[in-house]
Amino acid sequence: MESFFIRYRNVLVLLTLLVAQIVGLAVQVRRTSFGRNSLDPQDGPGVRLIRLWASAVVSPPERLIHQAKLGSATLWSQYIDLRHTQQDNQELQKTIDRLRLEQAALLEDAKQGQRLQALLNFQEKYIYKTVAAQAIGSSGSDQSRVFTIDKGSDFGLKPDMAVITADGIVGKVREVFPSTSQVLAINDQSSGAGVILETTRIRGILRGNAIGQPQIVGILADQRIQPGEKVLTAGGDLIFPRGLPVGVVEKIERDPEPDRDGFIDVIVKPAAHLDRLDEVLVITAVEARFSTQQQLDLATSEALKGPEAAAIEEQKKASAIMAERLPGLIDPNLPPDQQPLLDSSNPSIGARPPQAVHPDRFTPGGASQAAPGSGNRAEPGTDKKAATPVNPAAPPAPQNAGTPQRKPQP
Amino acid sequence: MNTMSGDFRRDLEIRRYPILVYTLTPLVALVLQAWLPRFLAGNAWFDLPLVVTVYFALVQRIPIQGTLMGAVMGLFEDALTGHAIGVNGIAKTVVGFLASSVGIRIDVDNHTIRLGLTFLLSLLSSAIYVAVYRVLLGLRLEWSWVIELIKSVANTLIALVLFPTLDRLQIRD
Repeated sequence: MESFFIRYRNVLVLLTLLVAQIVGLAVQVRRTSFGRNSLDPQDGPGVRLIRLWASAVVSPPERLIHQAKLGSATLWSQYIDLRHTQQDNQELQKTIDRLRLEQAALLEDAKQGQRLQALLNFQEKYIYKTVAAQAIGSSGSDQSRVFTIDKGSDFGLKPDMAVITADGIVGKVREVFPSTSQVLAINDQSSGAGVILETTRIRGILRGNAIGQPQIVGILADQRIQPGEKVLTAGGDLIFPRGLPVGVVEKIERDPEPDRDGFIDVIVKPAAHLDRLDEVLVITAVEARFSTQQQLDLATSEALKGPEAAAIEEQKKASAIMAERLPGLIDPNLPPDQQPLLDSSNPSIGARPPQAVHPDRFTPGGASQAAPGSGNRAEPGTDKKAATPVNPAAPPAPQNAGTPQRKPQP
Repeated sequence: MNTMSGDFRRDLEIRRYPILVYTLTPLVALVLQAWLPRFLAGNAWFDLPLVVTVYFALVQRIPIQGTLMGAVMGLFEDALTGHAIGVNGIAKTVVGFLASSVGIRIDVDNHTIRLGLTFLLSLLSSAIYVAVYRVLLGLRLEWSWVIELIKSVANTLIALVLFPTLDRLQIRD
C-alpha cells in the first residue's frame, strides 16, 4: 500500500489539487431562477481569504510602483515643466467664474425641481460624498476587467458602491480590503448596470463583451436607436445614481445567441476612459440634499452672482445708450415708409451713387431704358462702353430698379 | 543512455537557484501581470505567471513542485480577477504537472523545445480555462481563439527572453 502512494504520488497530488479546486468552484456558483448558472456575488469566507492574500501580496509592490511613477510625474509637472502655467491659471479662473454664474443660474431650476419633487413625493438622490482613489493595478487577465484602487474599508468603502470619473461611470466596488479595493468595471462580462437611452428612453442592462466593450444586451430591435445617442444610468440598479453619463451608442449588432432572434446588442463607447484610468471617485453616500461642499459652492456662486450680474447689467445699459445715440437703419416704432433708410434727409444714410453722365438702360431710375427685344445695340447718343452684351431673354428692368420699393399705402 | 530511468536523469540534471529567485520571480510575475495591462489599454495578451510556472516546472523536473506552483500561481491570478477562484488554478495545475513530467524526458537545455512547449502549454491552459468555465461551471463566457493564439505567441516571445535570463541565475557547482 505504501509503495502505491509512493509510486503514484505525483498523480495523487495532482488529483487532490484538482478535486479540491473543483469543489471550491462548485460552492462559488449558484443556479439562478432563469435556469442558468451564475457566479455568487457574495464571496464565502474561504474565497474572500484567498482574495485578501492575493491582494496583500500584490498590492504593496503595485502601490510602490504607482507612488514612484506618481512622484516622478509630480516632480516633472510641478517643478520642471511649468511653461504656460500662468496662462492656464488665468484661463481656468475665467472658466471657474463662468461656471459659477452658470451654476447660480441653474440653482434656481434645481430648487424649483426639488420643490416639485417634494410635492410629488419623489426624492432625487444627489451624490453627497465621494472618496478619490488611485487605480494601482489590474486583474492581469483579458477575460476580467477588474482593477485595484488604493482605498479600502479604512476610508469607508463598501461593496457595491459606484465608481465614477468626471466623464462618466466606471464600475462598482466588488471586494473591499482594509487598504485596497477591487472595482468591477462596466465592461466586464460579469458586470451589470441599469442604463437608459437618452432620446428613445429604452432601458437595458449594460455589461462587457469578450473584447472589453460595454454593450446593452437583450433589447428588442428598434429602428430609433442610432449611433451617437447618449446613454445614461437609469438608477434602477440601486448602485449608480440616475442620469450619470455612461457613453454613446457606437453600433448595433444582432444578438449572437441563436434562440434570441429579434434582439439586439447595442455597443456603447464609454464616456470614461476605462483603459486609462488613474484617478476615480467612489460615491460613498447619496442623499436627497446637496452636500456641504456643494452648498458652499452654491453660496459662493450666489455671492458672486450679484456683482457679476450688476456688471453685465451695466454693460447692457451702456449698449442701449450707445444704440440710442447711433442712427439705426430700422426703427421699430416707425411705419415702413418712414424708416430712416428711406428718408433722404437723413444724413446718416450712406451717399447715393452719383448720377451717370450718360445714362443708359441700366442706369438706376434712368428714363432711356432699352425696349425689350432691342438686342445689345446701344441707343443713339449713348456711350459705346455702356453697350455691354446682355441676355436677350432677360426680362425688362423695372422702372424704379435700384431704388428702394415703397409699399402702396392702403 | 537508453536505459536511463526518468528519476536518474532528473537527479543528474536538476537545477538549483537561490531562494530569492524562487520567491521573487513568481511575485514579480504576478505583480507585473497585474500592473502592465494598465499601460496596454487593458489588453493583457500575455501570461507571465504561466511562463514562470512552465520554466520552473521544466527545469526542476519535480512534478509535485510543478503542480503546486501552478496551483498557487493560478489561484493568485484568479483572486485578482474577481471571477471564480479555481479556474486558472486548475489550468495552471495541469500545466505545471505536464511541464515537469515532460521535463524529465526531454532535454530542457534545448531552447527550441522549451519555446515550443511554452506555446503548446499556453494553448492548453486556455483550452482548460474555457472548458472549466463553460462546461464545468456552465457560466457564460465570450471567447476568441484568435486572442488566445496571440497570447500563446506572446508568451513564447516572453519565454524567449526570460528563460535565458533565468538560466543565468542558477547555482552552478
